[in-house]
Amino acid sequence: MSVSVQANESQKTLTLHIMGSFDFSLFNEFRGAYSDYAGKYETYFVDMSQVEYLDSAALGMLLSMRNAVGEQSKIELIGANSFIKDILMISRFDKLFGIK
Amino acid sequence: MKLLCIDSEAVYREIVTLCAESEGLEVKSAGSVEQALALFENWRPDIVCLDYLLQGGNGLDLVKQFKILSGTRYVPMIFLTSHASDSVMDLCFKAGADDFLPKPFHELLFSVRLKKHIEHVQLINELYEKNTTLTYYQTINEREHEMAHQVLGHILQRNDQNSDTVAITHISAASFNGDLALIKTRADGAKLIFVGDFTGHGLSASIGALPLAQTFFDAADECLDLESLTKRINRILNSILPDYMFCAAYVLLLEPNKRLSYWGGGMPNAYIRKQTGSMTHLSSQHMPLGVLPNQVFESNLESIPLSDGDSLVIVSDGVLELKAEDGVMLGQQATEALIGEHYQQGNNISTAQQGFQQALANYSINAVQDDDITIFSLRA
Repeated sequence: MSVSVQANESQKTLTLHIMGSFDFSLFNEFRGAYSDYAGKYETYFVDMSQVEYLDSAALGMLLSMRNAVGEQSKIELIGANSFIKDILMISRFDKLFGIK
Repeated sequence: MKLLCIDSEAVYREIVTLCAESEGLEVKSAGSVEQALALFENWRPDIVCLDYLLQGGNGLDLVKQFKILSGTRYVPMIFLTSHASDSVMDLCFKAGADDFLPKPFHELLFSVRLKKHIEHVQLINELYEKNTTLTYYQTINEREHEMAHQVLGHILQRNDQNSDTVAITHISAASFNGDLALIKTRADGAKLIFVGDFTGHGLSASIGALPLAQTFFDAADECLDLESLTKRINRILNSILPDYMFCAAYVLLLEPNKRLSYWGGGMPNAYIRKQTGSMTHLSSQHMPLGVLPNQVFESNLESIPLSDGDSLVIVSDGVLELKAEDGVMLGQQATEALIGEHYQQGNNISTAQQGFQQALANYSINAVQDDDITIFSLRA
């Protein structure tokens, strides 16, 4: 599995860990990982510390998640390496996501 | 699954039948070559078990005929014989045998080997089916790429042609890779330009490209201001595209007085090589088109004065991500340096672009091209 899910009920957070290449091949798996939990947590973390590559399809998947979890919840993108951070910043994802 | 047993001795036909049936196989047996050939053709067994010497011929010739008759189908041939010398074994394998077991019949050995052959046949059949399905989808995919290419090609006829001042190059294996470069000279002499990159490939990417190109050329005809055009494109893409699709882009206007105004979202830096040799760049300040609803969309423009002989060069991220043999990506700094070197004022813009392309090809020599590449350049 390239996407794993970890819930923390007391902190009301859900963390998605992504491994390897974050691209179109993860489309269904990524959506499946959060869709049952949409709107149930205050903060969603997407842990990208194990991501080697990310393409524009992955950006689209993050935007789709942004829509699905609703405005009340925050999404924090964490652990991105500098290459991935550059891609996120070029598309100004800081406007819709927390980037750490 | 079906097994054909060929043996001149009835006792062996019975033993093999019992044994194979206990492995779940349907079995028919033949005592002669003639019978065997008829059964092979009409009944189409999945596995064959046969002796070396047979009534009316020998097993070697029969195996050769079976191999021809089975065509692309994989049908394992197991020899079961009391002629178990090395030379006979060698002949059998050369004739096309897949396995060789000596008589007297060893039930356990036969069962184990049979299980392996059954697994093998199942695996190959599955592979064959999957391959057929894949080929089917691949064909559909290719047709869709062609279709997108044709439809877009029709719209791109409204584009200004490449000239002494404009060069557009697409390097791509796919027919439409999501990269779109549009340029149209307006009635007032200003040049309207769009260089963008849709998420996705082929037909799915072209769904947004079609209305976008239409809007672009209409705006050029109407001399619509750049801010309104950008908002209009964003609204269209935001309303028609699913939420996981968008278009990173520069939308630019070069006025006759050489003032360049632009909106950039989600694109890597674009470069201006001044005629003096110095470099400056445009950068994207916004989210890509089609992401934000128009109420919160920011359409504010940047502006920069150009001089005669300056070159504007916009490359898709495929250029920055070109990989050398050692896997190292070209990156921003090297791209900027190559542009500075190749787009000298003296060079005709298309000659300059060819030189730049050649430099990129040299960099990524033998390396797999991961992304498709678009290069747009304009000389002020």
